[in-house]
Amino acid sequence: MDNIPGRKVAVVGMGGAFPTCKDLSEFSSKLFANKSLIRTFDDAMAYEKQVRSTVAGFITEPEMDLEVIWDPMEGIYPETYIDKLNRIPDANLATSDVGSIWSMLAAQNAIKMAGWSKDLVQSERTGVVIGSGGSANVILRTGWHNFYVYGRKTRHSGGHTVDRTMTYREAANVSVLIKNKGVCETISSACATGLGNIGYAYRLIKYGLQDRAITGGVESTSLETFIGFDGMMVLSRGFSPEESSRPFDMARNGFVCSFGAGIVALEEYEQAVARGADILGVIDEYFNNSDGDGDMFYPSFAGQQRLWKGVMAGSNEKPDVVKVHGTSTPSGDAIELLSVIDALGEDGYHISAPKSQFGHMLGGAGAVEFITALLMLKEQKVLPCLNSPNLNPELETFQKNPEWKGPMKPLAAYRHLLPQESFSKPINSIVCLNYGFGGTNSALKLSRYDK
Amino acid sequence: MERQEIIDGLIEVLKTVRMIEPEKLVGVTEETDFLADMSVPSSQMIAIVAKVEQKFDIEFEDDDIDDLGSTVKDVVDLILKVKARG
Repeated sequence: MDNIPGRKVAVVGMGGAFPTCKDLSEFSSKLFANKSLIRTFDDAMAYEKQVRSTVAGFITEPEMDLEVIWDPMEGIYPETYIDKLNRIPDANLATSDVGSIWSMLAAQNAIKMAGWSKDLVQSERTGVVIGSGGSANVILRTGWHNFYVYGRKTRHSGGHTVDRTMTYREAANVSVLIKNKGVCETISSACATGLGNIGYAYRLIKYGLQDRAITGGVESTSLETFIGFDGMMVLSRGFSPEESSRPFDMARNGFVCSFGAGIVALEEYEQAVARGADILGVIDEYFNNSDGDGDMFYPSFAGQQRLWKGVMAGSNEKPDVVKVHGTSTPSGDAIELLSVIDALGEDGYHISAPKSQFGHMLGGAGAVEFITALLMLKEQKVLPCLNSPNLNPELETFQKNPEWKGPMKPLAAYRHLLPQESFSKPINSIVCLNYGFGGTNSALKLSRYDK
Repeated sequence: MERQEIIDGLIEVLKTVRMIEPEKLVGVTEETDFLADMSVPSSQMIAIVAKVEQKFDIEFEDDDIDDLGSTVKDVVDLILKVKARG
């Protein structure tokens, strides 16, 4: 495949909403201290007899210094939110679900870190590209309940049901807040959404359509989202909260549903250098494709082989770290690890699995994990794959199939690639991987800024 | 129900609307205009109408709302009309 040349893109700011963390700095220290951010999910425990899994990575409104104004008519409908720290004006809060509020707060932090002036932010050359995986369930739940069950007038479902729940609500709310004049769009690709939005924004800048972008992914705390996956029986069960997310471990039995937001500020490289920006990383390549095997859920080794070929864009240089999708589901992790081995060989790099620390943030995953890659570049430390003490010493069932064309060693042969604690080493480049239902695959190559 | 009692109830409702600044609720008369004097965003009028229905335990017809003006007097008249309608 031809690689179309374009402009270089720098990452100059980041912000987010992270479970059990007050801010980015606490998020970073907890991750490098090998901590887990997973807790017992109180919202699910309230329906203990109806749910299968009971753990999640979640964020409550008070933890974000927000107060919910509950509708007096219907106690579970958030009429609006109050920002206790006055960061977001009331008019913007009125059109937001909680994920949009997290996005606005994260965007403010990313812009502050980027050091963009008001003129740069409000330019025609600045875009907003943010997405989430699911719906604004917390707003919708009562909207429909009021109409169908209580037989109330449509206005009693709230006058902001559309703007608070539309698919690109996070992008729209951020754009209305920061007043950029360039593009405002969302990319949606299930659990590849977070990286997909960043990849799309990267291309907008690379190909000269924009000079800057606020971009990332979000998944807001919602019991409905949890219920959907719990009903598929794909969530982790039977471990203590902090041991529930265990990518690659033999005892893994599902992912941990998690919620959060990751927003980054991207800028055309030469302009970022010219204004003396603090460059957190440089995006070398973004590539995405589809499995093309007609399967909605099961990962494809061939699809991932093509993904690796695309993101390496003809280069033979191994990244120092591969930040994997590593969800902790039985089938996904094995295929992913073996496709990394197939692409990069058996040594010379390490694998980091941040979902082992904060679970699977779905639409937010790719963006928050991209932030973990930026943190690894900054700290020059590899984040671990927690809870992976035992790797399978036997071949996976699919490896015994005569049609299997991948590595013929069991996962346990690659123990040396999967650190169980964070450690320091020189890190110049990282490949980020994320995949989603529908057979969508995405990969991004990130490098350290070379002054 | 007296008109002033309704205005007082209406102000109680308006106090719960975050986008109306508290100082705009001082000295409200029947001539006060929600859009012009209180700077209520038109998108918030729906929420106010729904809250008024709750507060006064009434339900407006769609035509009532379509024809509604934007002054306090218009709302008071409508509440009295709907109450009389039973």
